[in-house]
Amino acid sequence: MEMVVVAPPASGKLEDLKRRFFATPRQAVISLLSLSVIVFLVWKLLNWAVFSAVFDASGGPDACHAASGACWSVIAARWRIIFFGLYPYEEQWRSALACVTVVAMTVLSCIPAFWTGRRIALVWGVGAAVFYVLMKGGLLGLGFVGEEMWGGLALTLFIFVTTCLVGFPLAICLALLRRSELPWISRTTGLIIDGVRSLPLISILFTFAIVLPFALPQWLQGDKLYRVILGSALFFSAYQAEIVRGGMQGVPRGQEEAAMALGLSYWHRISRILLPQAMRNALPATINQFVISFKETSLVIIVGFFEILASGNAAYGTGEWRFAYVEVYAFIAMIYFVFVFSLSRYGAFLERRMSVGER
Amino acid sequence: MQFLKWGAAAALALSLAQISAPAQAAGGKTLETVKARGVLNCTGHDGSYLGFAEVDDKGNWKGMDIDLCRAVATAVFGDPAKLKIVPISWAQRWPSLQSGDVDIVIKASGGTLSRDTELGLQFSMSYYLGTTKVMAHKELNLKSLKDAEGGTICIPAGTTIEQQVAAYSQKIGIKLEPVVIEKTEELEQAYFSGRCDLYAQWGPVLAIARVAKGKVEDHVILPDVIAVEPEVMILRQGDDNWVDVANWTLSALLFAEQEGITSKNVDEIKAKPTSPAVAKFLGAAPGMGKGLGLPDDWAYNVIKKVGNYAEIFDRDLGKDSPYKMDRDLTNLWNNGGVLFPLVVD
Repeated sequence: MEMVVVAPPASGKLEDLKRRFFATPRQAVISLLSLSVIVFLVWKLLNWAVFSAVFDASGGPDACHAASGACWSVIAARWRIIFFGLYPYEEQWRSALACVTVVAMTVLSCIPAFWTGRRIALVWGVGAAVFYVLMKGGLLGLGFVGEEMWGGLALTLFIFVTTCLVGFPLAICLALLRRSELPWISRTTGLIIDGVRSLPLISILFTFAIVLPFALPQWLQGDKLYRVILGSALFFSAYQAEIVRGGMQGVPRGQEEAAMALGLSYWHRISRILLPQAMRNALPATINQFVISFKETSLVIIVGFFEILASGNAAYGTGEWRFAYVEVYAFIAMIYFVFVFSLSRYGAFLERRMSVGER
Repeated sequence: MQFLKWGAAAALALSLAQISAPAQAAGGKTLETVKARGVLNCTGHDGSYLGFAEVDDKGNWKGMDIDLCRAVATAVFGDPAKLKIVPISWAQRWPSLQSGDVDIVIKASGGTLSRDTELGLQFSMSYYLGTTKVMAHKELNLKSLKDAEGGTICIPAGTTIEQQVAAYSQKIGIKLEPVVIEKTEELEQAYFSGRCDLYAQWGPVLAIARVAKGKVEDHVILPDVIAVEPEVMILRQGDDNWVDVANWTLSALLFAEQEGITSKNVDEIKAKPTSPAVAKFLGAAPGMGKGLGLPDDWAYNVIKKVGNYAEIFDRDLGKDSPYKMDRDLTNLWNNGGVLFPLVVD
């Protein structure tokens, strides 16, 4: 009997590459063609974005007209508008600091050491207070800046964070109410959730910003910004409530029954048994919902807020920089990317940590 | 049945609330409300509208509409800084005015029949005559649109400009090939890349596009006026006094231009008025403010602190701005335009 010796697959990166892309002549041709197309596109992009681009603002728009590449000098000249909107120029450091506070707050609450109710509450309570005082002023010698002057990244972050802060607890309440055993509670809640979900966010924002003042007395109206945040939080919570409810349905009924048999109170059953497991089930969808909400903050442009996209419009919306809208949009896309990508990476980290799907 | 009753009651309550709120806001007390608040709420834009409402490098508003807001604020308070610009989208203009969010809409908005009669709004005199015009590549050597027989023309989608161009070209008896595009950036790209010979647009936007491209001399704006839209300040129905304030503020800007009064020489002229009307106008003689509920020197303050109409135009749209727009029809009657002040007697 002769042994058939099969050569082990060649190791080493080069061999691997050869086996995958250049196995036959036809494969080699296709690989080379694709590669050259990719190289060509990347080179084009790099050439536009880097090599032929103008970075220095000192030449003004004229330098850009002369160059063939991107005109990043529009960012150099107008970045303050993109980040801070209409916030008073001399006070913009406050807006910057407020953004840093939000980021710091988010990073802190991502560290497992802070995952106790009291610490999280402390971080967010203090963070929100610092943000608010910095932005609005009127305290500690800071000049007063009304909400209608807020803008840019700071406003986008503020709307997002407050939407989640208000919307998340509300979502949990709605989810719990919907599984109530009293039909008139569960049905009413269901009606509210489905009602909100069947309206487009943009119409909700418009209603809260513009129609509500007609219907509410003066003292109940509050600032337009907070009405809009309330509307967007309501929308967020309707969706998030269904996500949480889905998570709850994934928790076996026996868990709750066992807890009942042990004589745990309702709040203990919910907060120690049901919710932790439900949230673990709901995590991927929840992160998704957060990401969507972050991007949906750009809809407040319709009711006249200077969030980051509107600020971008204003940044290129002047005679000299009008032509450079592509660069401004690219820059804003980068900002969105940085935030949303970190958010989804954080979600992945959480999933690993809680080992979702491994149960 | 019970359900129906409640539903009807709720609908009634809601509609009552909706009717009563604007009625309160439009109770003819706008000037008093503004004075009590200590600041005028005027419209801005949710981004930028070149030349009319835009944001400078330091985040300050500037532009023609903004300067008119400043003029009204100065007429009321004697101080252009007592002004809050509320950023507002196009769709939000009328609800914001009705709900009292803003006291006046100055936002490149035309006076139309439906706005006047159906929406319950009221207009000032026209402060700017917006015209629909056509721009052409210079090398085509067009003298007027009549020479453009068979040319392709870029038109913004979803606007009245499409119908205006069709009607106008039919009137002068030529055929044009329309290219209709939704987004302004894309539309301009199509024109400047040569896909269209012509580009029809609201006049100021055309002039600004030409400047923004950086090659003003390569494009001519044809003399044809395709259509006209008078831009007006817009106010709530039923407050005559507030309409008077808006009209007389505008009139003051035009009167000062007509009489040669500028922010620079206003003090000299006030000290030595050229006529009794000018003396009254600048508050050197009494009577200018009383009927309006303003101080007698309100017009002096406006001219001193904001400038006359020509100064505002030059600064925001005309020769001192990047846009270098001509006054065209938006000029005084004695300079070939259609604007005129009311009489100070």
